[in-house]
Amino acid sequence: MMITFQNVSRFYNEWPALESINFQVDQGEFLIISGPSGAGKTTVFRQIWMGDLPSSGVVEVVGFRSDRIRRGDLPLLRRKLGIVFQDFRLLSDRTVYDNVALPLQVIGTSPKAVRRRVFSLLSEMELNHRRGSYPHELSGGEQQRVAIARAMVAHPVILLADEPTGNLDPEVSRRVIDLLIEINRSGTAVILATHDPRQVPAGIARFLYLDRGHLVNPNLWGGYRQL
Amino acid sequence: MNIRGKLGSFLITLLMVSLSFMVFDIFLVVSWNMGEVLRKEQENVGIEIFLMDDISEVEAVNLADIISGLEGVRSVYYVSPGEAETVFRADLPEQADLLTLLGPQFHLPASIQIGLYPDYRTSEKVGSLARIVSGMDGVEDVVYGKEYLPGLTRAVDILEKLVILAGLVLAVSISLVVANTVRLAVAKRALTVQIMSIVGAPGWFVRMPFLGEGLLTGIAGSTGSLLLTGAVSWMLMSSVPHEFIPGKWIMLVLILGASSGVAGSWLGMKSGIPKPRS
Ligand SMILES: Nc1ncnc2c1ncn2[C@@H]1O[C@H](COP(=O)(O)OP(=O)(O)O)[C@@H](O)[C@H]1O
Ligand SMILES: [Mg+2]
Repeated sequence: MMITFQNVSRFYNEWPALESINFQVDQGEFLIISGPSGAGKTTVFRQIWMGDLPSSGVVEVVGFRSDRIRRGDLPLLRRKLGIVFQDFRLLSDRTVYDNVALPLQVIGTSPKAVRRRVFSLLSEMELNHRRGSYPHELSGGEQQRVAIARAMVAHPVILLADEPTGNLDPEVSRRVIDLLIEINRSGTAVILATHDPRQVPAGIARFLYLDRGHLVNPNLWGGYRQL
Repeated sequence: MNIRGKLGSFLITLLMVSLSFMVFDIFLVVSWNMGEVLRKEQENVGIEIFLMDDISEVEAVNLADIISGLEGVRSVYYVSPGEAETVFRADLPEQADLLTLLGPQFHLPASIQIGLYPDYRTSEKVGSLARIVSGMDGVEDVVYGKEYLPGLTRAVDILEKLVILAGLVLAVSISLVVANTVRLAVAKRALTVQIMSIVGAPGWFVRMPFLGEGLLTGIAGSTGSLLLTGAVSWMLMSSVPHEFIPGKWIMLVLILGASSGVAGSWLGMKSGIPKPRS
C-alpha cells in the first residue's frame, strides 16, 4: 500500500475536520476525493504530505508513519510526492524553467541532468516556448500545467492534486484532467480532490466522498451515478 | 516581486537596521567621550609629599625608595629644593620676584611626587595610601585631591554602571527592532520557504539563504550605522572635539548586528516552514 489511513481524526479546537477516516491507496491507483467545500479534502492532503499530523490514528505514506516520523524524514517523504494546489503556488520571482527545476535543485541534481530533465518534461507538456516566462505572464491553465510539471519533475510515486481546476474554466480544466489521466497511465498514483467528479470519465478512478469530516460509504451513496 | 523590487525592499530593510544601530552608536560615542574626560581627570590623580626642612637628599631618596615599594605606587619622583625653584620660576614667572624678596636663606621644600596605578586612583585607596606615607619619618605634609577625589570616583562609578545598564537596554531593544525588521522581510517570502520544503528540500537548504540574508543585513546594517555615525562625528569634530569609539566597541556593534540579523531571519522562517502539529 502506498497510503493507509487508520482511524484518522483531526480536531481543530475540538472541532473535527476529519473523524475516524479509514482508506488505502494502492500503487498506481487513481483516487478521487470529492465533497463540498469545508468537508476536509485539503486536511486529508495535508495529512498525506505531513504538513499536519492527525490528532489520533495513524497515517502511513510510502513507509513513513505519522506517529514515528522525525523532522529530518519529512524531506525524504516529500520527495516521493508531487503536490499541486488550486492556487498554483508558483514562485513569482523565478521563470518557468526555474520553478520546474526547483525540486531537482534542492536534492543536488547536477545542472546538466536538471537541464535534460526539465527540457524534456517542458516539451512533453508543450510548455517549452514558455520556459523563460515569469508566472504572471502565463494564463491560468499554463500556470497550472507548470505547477504539474514541477510536481512531476522528480518522478514522484504519488501525485496529489487539490482542486487543481478550481480556478480554471471548463475548457482549460479538461486539458489539466487529461494530463492527470496520462500521468496516472504512466504508473504514478494520482489523488485528485474535486467538487465535480464528472470531470474524470467513469471507470478510470476510484471514488471517495467526504462530508463534514466523515467518509460516506460509496456503496450506500449513489451520488456518482446521479451526477 | 521582480529583481528591482527585491533590491528595493532589501535596501529599505538595510536603512532601517542602519538607523536603529546609529542610535546605539551615538550612545556609545557619547559614553566613550564622557568616560574619556573622566579618565583623563583620573590620570592626574596622585600624591605629593612635602618633606621636612632638615631631611638630607640621601634620606629623601631613601624615603622615595621605601614609598616605591608600597602597593599601588607606579612611580616616585624626588623634587629637590633647587628643582622646585626652577619649576616655580618657569610656571609662575610673574611671581618669581617673591623668591628674590624672601632672600637666599629661603628655599622651597623638597617633595616626592607619587604616581599611582589606575586601579589605585579612587578616593578610598588614595586616602589610605596618603595616611600611610604621612606617618613616615621626615614627612611634613601630604597633599592629594581630598576635595574633588570622592566626587570624581563617584562620577566614574556612576558613569560605568549607567553605560552598562543603558547599553544593555539599548542593545536588547535595538536587536529586537533589527530582528523584527529582518523577520518581516523574510516572512514576505513565506511562499518560497513553503514550496522549498514541500518539494523536499532539506531543512538547511531552506534555511541557508535566509540565514545568509539575515547575517548580511545585520552586518551591512551595522557597518552602515558605523559609517553614518562616523560621518556625523567627523563633521562635528572641529566644533565639538571628541574621539570616535575604539575598535573593541566597533566589533561589539558588528557582532550585535550579525546576531540580531540571524535571529530575525530564524524567527521569520518559522512562520513560513510548515511543520506538523501547529
Ligand atoms: N488550520 C486550520 N485551523 C482551523 N481549522 C481548520 C484548519 N484547516 C482546516 N480547518 C477546518 O477544517 C475543515 C475542513 O477544511 P478543509 O480540509 O480545508 O476542507 P476542504 O478542502 O474540503 O474544503 C473546515 O471546517 C475548516 O474550517
Ligand atoms: Mg480545500
